[in-house]
Amino acid sequence: MIKVLHFKMYLFILLLLPLAMFSQNNVTGTVTDGESGLPLPGANVIIKGTTTGTTADFDGNFSLNVNSFPVTLVFSSLGYETIQKDVNSAGVVNVAMKESATSLEEVVITGLASSTKRSNLANTVASISAQELTGVTQQSEFGTSLAGKFTGAEIKANSGAPGGGVSMRLRGVTSIFGNQQPLFIVDGVYVDNSSIGLGNNIVSEASGGGNTSSTQDDASNRIADIDPEDIETVEILKGASAAAQYGSRAAAGVVLITTKRGKQGKPKVTFSQVVGFRSPTQLLGLRDWDADEIIALGGDPNAPLRDYEAEIFDETRVSSTTRFTTSGATDKTDYFFGVTNKNEPGLVDNTGYKKTSLRLNIGQKFNDWLDLYVTTNYINSDADRGFFNNGNANRTVGYALAFTYPWEDLSPVDGVYPAGGAGSNALETIALTTNEERVNRFIGSATSNIRLLNTDNQKLKLVLQAGFDQFTLRTTSIFPKALTYFRSPTSLGGVSIQGNTVNTNYQLSAFLVHDLSLDNGLSFTTQLGNFFQDFDRNTVVTVATGLNGSQTNLDQSTNVSTDQNIIPQQDTGFFGQTEINFEDKIIGTIGIRGDKSTNNGDSDKFYYYPKANLAFNLHNFDFWNIDAISSIKPRIAYGEAGSFSNFRDRFTVFDGELIGGNSGLSPNLLLGNTDVGPERQKELEYGLDFGFLNNRINIEFTIYNKKVDDVLLEVNYPTSSGFTTKIQNAAELENKGVEIGINANIISKNDFNWDTNFKWWKNKSEVTRLDVPSFTEGGFAASLGTFLIQEGKSVTQIVGTYDASAYTPEEIAERDPEGDGFFVYGNAEPDFQLSWSNQISYKSWDLSFLWHWKKGGENINLTTLLYDLAGTTWDYDDTGLDPSGTLPNGPYRASQAFVNPDPVIEDSGYLRLREIGLYYTLPEGFIKYASKIRLGLSGRNLINIFDYNSYDPEVSNFGNNELGNNVEVTPYPASKFINFHLNVNF
Amino acid sequence: MKNILIKTILLLAAITLTCCQLDEVENPNAATIESVQDGASQADIQLLAVGLESVLRNDLDFHYDTVSILGRDYYDLTGVDPRFTGEILKGPLDNNGFLTTRSYAAWYKVVKSANILIESVVNSEAGFSDQVKNSYYGYAKTLKAYALLMVANRQYTNGIRLDVSDPNNLGPNVTYDEALSGIESLLNEASTELSNAGGSFDFPISAGFEGFDTPATFGEFNRALAARTALYQDDKAGVISALGNSFFDISGDLWAGPAHIFGATGNDILNAQFHVLDQSGEEFMINDAWIADAEAGDTRVDDKSFLLTGGTTTFDGLSADYQVALYKSNVDPVYLIRNEELVLMYAEANIGTDNVATVDAINIIRNAASLSDYAGAVDDVSLLEEVINQRRYSLFAEGHRWIDLRRLGRLNSTYIPLDRSGDNIIEAFPTPFTENL
Repeated sequence: MIKVLHFKMYLFILLLLPLAMFSQNNVTGTVTDGESGLPLPGANVIIKGTTTGTTADFDGNFSLNVNSFPVTLVFSSLGYETIQKDVNSAGVVNVAMKESATSLEEVVITGLASSTKRSNLANTVASISAQELTGVTQQSEFGTSLAGKFTGAEIKANSGAPGGGVSMRLRGVTSIFGNQQPLFIVDGVYVDNSSIGLGNNIVSEASGGGNTSSTQDDASNRIADIDPEDIETVEILKGASAAAQYGSRAAAGVVLITTKRGKQGKPKVTFSQVVGFRSPTQLLGLRDWDADEIIALGGDPNAPLRDYEAEIFDETRVSSTTRFTTSGATDKTDYFFGVTNKNEPGLVDNTGYKKTSLRLNIGQKFNDWLDLYVTTNYINSDADRGFFNNGNANRTVGYALAFTYPWEDLSPVDGVYPAGGAGSNALETIALTTNEERVNRFIGSATSNIRLLNTDNQKLKLVLQAGFDQFTLRTTSIFPKALTYFRSPTSLGGVSIQGNTVNTNYQLSAFLVHDLSLDNGLSFTTQLGNFFQDFDRNTVVTVATGLNGSQTNLDQSTNVSTDQNIIPQQDTGFFGQTEINFEDKIIGTIGIRGDKSTNNGDSDKFYYYPKANLAFNLHNFDFWNIDAISSIKPRIAYGEAGSFSNFRDRFTVFDGELIGGNSGLSPNLLLGNTDVGPERQKELEYGLDFGFLNNRINIEFTIYNKKVDDVLLEVNYPTSSGFTTKIQNAAELENKGVEIGINANIISKNDFNWDTNFKWWKNKSEVTRLDVPSFTEGGFAASLGTFLIQEGKSVTQIVGTYDASAYTPEEIAERDPEGDGFFVYGNAEPDFQLSWSNQISYKSWDLSFLWHWKKGGENINLTTLLYDLAGTTWDYDDTGLDPSGTLPNGPYRASQAFVNPDPVIEDSGYLRLREIGLYYTLPEGFIKYASKIRLGLSGRNLINIFDYNSYDPEVSNFGNNELGNNVEVTPYPASKFINFHLNVNF
Repeated sequence: MKNILIKTILLLAAITLTCCQLDEVENPNAATIESVQDGASQADIQLLAVGLESVLRNDLDFHYDTVSILGRDYYDLTGVDPRFTGEILKGPLDNNGFLTTRSYAAWYKVVKSANILIESVVNSEAGFSDQVKNSYYGYAKTLKAYALLMVANRQYTNGIRLDVSDPNNLGPNVTYDEALSGIESLLNEASTELSNAGGSFDFPISAGFEGFDTPATFGEFNRALAARTALYQDDKAGVISALGNSFFDISGDLWAGPAHIFGATGNDILNAQFHVLDQSGEEFMINDAWIADAEAGDTRVDDKSFLLTGGTTTFDGLSADYQVALYKSNVDPVYLIRNEELVLMYAEANIGTDNVATVDAINIIRNAASLSDYAGAVDDVSLLEEVINQRRYSLFAEGHRWIDLRRLGRLNSTYIPLDRSGDNIIEAFPTPFTENL
């Protein structure tokens, strides 16, 4: 009975409602996505010239009172082109909106829980779409896929070894001893990007023998685990002015990655297969030997000359990447599922990279106030990276090659390799050793929006987010007893190193987001919330020496020793921000983050990071009447961010001791500093953005100045205290730079479109304050080139010793004014970088290419020097380097070794065709069941022009997180790729 | 209504779950010094005591190599670092270079370890009796004095700091004489404490201290160090008196004495002064003069040297034929002080008062090296020369030659062979730059 009554009441209301509406001059309708035809909730509808408006509900429906007709209604929604409709009378107006083509309409994440239209942004936030990231060619891993695609960055591969290892500096050097790599966030999850060594130092002795700790292992960094194909957009916050909301972790910048999400429409199924061909970008070749030279080095002039470099590296390897995705959405539920399987062998035998990545993203709307979005990603990878880089026992493949003479025969006889004259046999090392990194990783996040309040001019929602990142990294390095240098009973007798890292991070956050629109045209977006983050890394490296015969199990050995390192950290704090928008004309934001961390000397102390910015969209003002300039926006932004000290900096710890079977403790040489705090970056950025010809040409011009204060230094301490160093906040750095971006839609016709994109950027760093005496850092020694941290000079200046007898006192006084015994020989910082990308489509053909020019910047090239010392350099007998004109290049460089590093400090600039891709889309319906088939041919690093005397100027013997990350010692050579693509949409 | 309730609950839950106080995180990788400074347990303190013995060995090879090269016992011709044939032989020594700073830091690390041990015992909550406390104090102070004596002999006229217990407020740099007096009183304090320390130590001590591993016998080692200190103070009566309470035994084993021991397992370290015979890269080469000046038949020469099979080694204008072969394996012990030195101290201290005793002692040493009895003049100067000469062979590569010649006014080109033009005699290591003096 009651039910019936209710039903009648509903009917009654339903009947009355339309009457009431029409009587009030109501306009109703539905806003839909033009492509999918599905409703577009949240679209704004405003009566032009007034502040009266409404938003579409979950089904895309809106209803709006209009006092007098005719009116113009403005429909807008983030990510869609704004539409104006003239309406002459009350009634139904349905609108289908088109996804915006220009980047100005795209949405950029600006807070921790809110986003803004790019056209209202006061910062330069670089944004890279899936098309730019992976649409041109196949990427080996995420880090390198960003190179040349946005301004302000210096991105380089540490070596050509498969499986990643990339260094990224955003707007210059931000720290000397601290973290220099940006923070990576995937769908709200702080993902670990650590680079964990294999412990190969036991064998290579690169940092002296006897310990597992070294940055010279050529380890990959963990961001390589992320599958670039899963990524929808990448946003890069290059400095504190844009990244202050990430507080103490953001000083080196933040890379925000958003993965793909199912879109409304017909379920999509795609399959793609890429077959790639990897080959060396270049080989260096043999010295131009003659009989006398061979005899002089003790060789047999009649022996055949073998080119071991070519034997080892001159290979064409076939790689394969298979991907399958399916995605879709209804109005309540969306899903995206993607699987990638990659197998990419390296140039060198027994090296390569294999990865399987699985992703499932699911969104669900439960009702009109509650939704949930869950992302999950499982990655399994296996990288065999070979044994390269520096060593002090001539055992790495690269090092041994330098000292291997072509008349030697390194091939095995009856299965046994002869001892190479170089200290090890490179062929044997490749054949018998294992250097493997295996990763199992799970990254997941859950985000829930709870709409607490929703009225015409106010909205309040609670955004809850949880993120989880866990990986297990197993490193295995096996140097069997059969190796020539481990056969002797007094040697280590075979080494098996097994590393195990378990890293678990999780974050929780809760934010309230409040939208308020006032009748006077002002609107406010305010967010306030807090967060808790927990990081825990536990690395155990076990080294077994004296292996039993051919056994590699840790048990099957004579001596076992273990190192364990646990790095725990917990952070908590809050963030609040208000964005004030006056009719899209003036947009300002102020915000503050407060951070506490167990990594600070005082874990209960808040560190505050404020931000403020302002942008003027002059073209939205009525006075703007220059039609040619369709948009113009001056903007200014300021923000602060921090960088943590290392976990152990505040502790004075004991080291373990063992004598005669008794265990003991002795104080470590580092004096803990309980006052140590984060580095603080203050960045001021200002710029001007303008668009011509209806924004077909957009120009972004930015100038920034970022100061890093409280820079953490390892300060020498009076050693009579029993300690040698202490970490102190004791310097200030400054980076100034200019970034210019121009993108233009040159041709836009129905079947012919050409977009082009120029980017130019430059950074200059300086040490503006140094509370301690100048000191050298990085590289190996001042006589081989090192970095000098000196007040008033560039952070990245490369200095070295000189031969005082070769110069007059006046010359010395001029070049070494401080009398510290150093000349300045170079600077790691590039003069500028330029990139030019193009996307051209004509009918069914698409052509894209990306050129990248890095002008200047020096490397310390010790590979060449090692070859010189052995007498095997490819240009040993060439001339031109010796200023006195007497010695050929090789002997000249060797004669300067350990005295004058000038000849090995070389220009590392390059011009590269980073990416090129040509695709053809087959006519629709060409094959039954497939809706779209695309075929393509692409390449990476196909053209490389540089004047650098080794394999590739992109190289780092010391990995990614070091000041001196441009020192080269016999690396794994770089590769180029040619790929064939087949993409099918079902 | 129900919605609002759920929403409020969710809101409150979110705020409380994501915010909290942070507790200080203890370092999970290693104990911190703060954790033992107040209320340390017996187990903690025992670890510190073992650590002190262990840390005495840190960079030991570096100390012995630098002072032996300065005294021209031997050269480092491995070519690993040009400074071993340049800076250290020619000077001036760089006050911020590793030749100067590394051993300085290593010896002060021993001092720091001893200070931490003493401080931990003072503030311990282990319920130690005064006797047990004294055993720790006597042990720690003796080894601290040993380290200070080593570093004082390096720095010589440039002085050292004696009081370094507070890293933020280091004591003054004192002269060599003041340093020796300070070391003397530290040893005397330790000796008193050891004699009131009961019958045994409260902590394990390695086999290197076999025979010196009780407070009483460790006290004999303490007195041996006191004798050495007195010798450097030119206090002959003091030498004789201290020797009387030491393990000095004129007819005993010349190699008796406490030693650093080594091992290959775990955190243990190897004797880096062992050099693989005849192997490239191991060219620690005896100065030719040491071979040439030796008396025929001196077994110490054969015992401590090895003639390279490949012939003369030359590097940087220096050449030599014999490799240092004092240690026979990478776990051979290195003595802190041994009876042979005590016998020679006894011989030296008796010159001028009892030259017969001197000759007797010299003969003990000579006979042990298969040499006949001393037949030279028995005036004071001749006997001193003979003692110096015996010390050169008996204590070869044990860090004495440079210090002996210096204290006896013989640090000149008569005693120090300058094998290349440009080579110089260096009297002391400079005070490290980082001391900010």
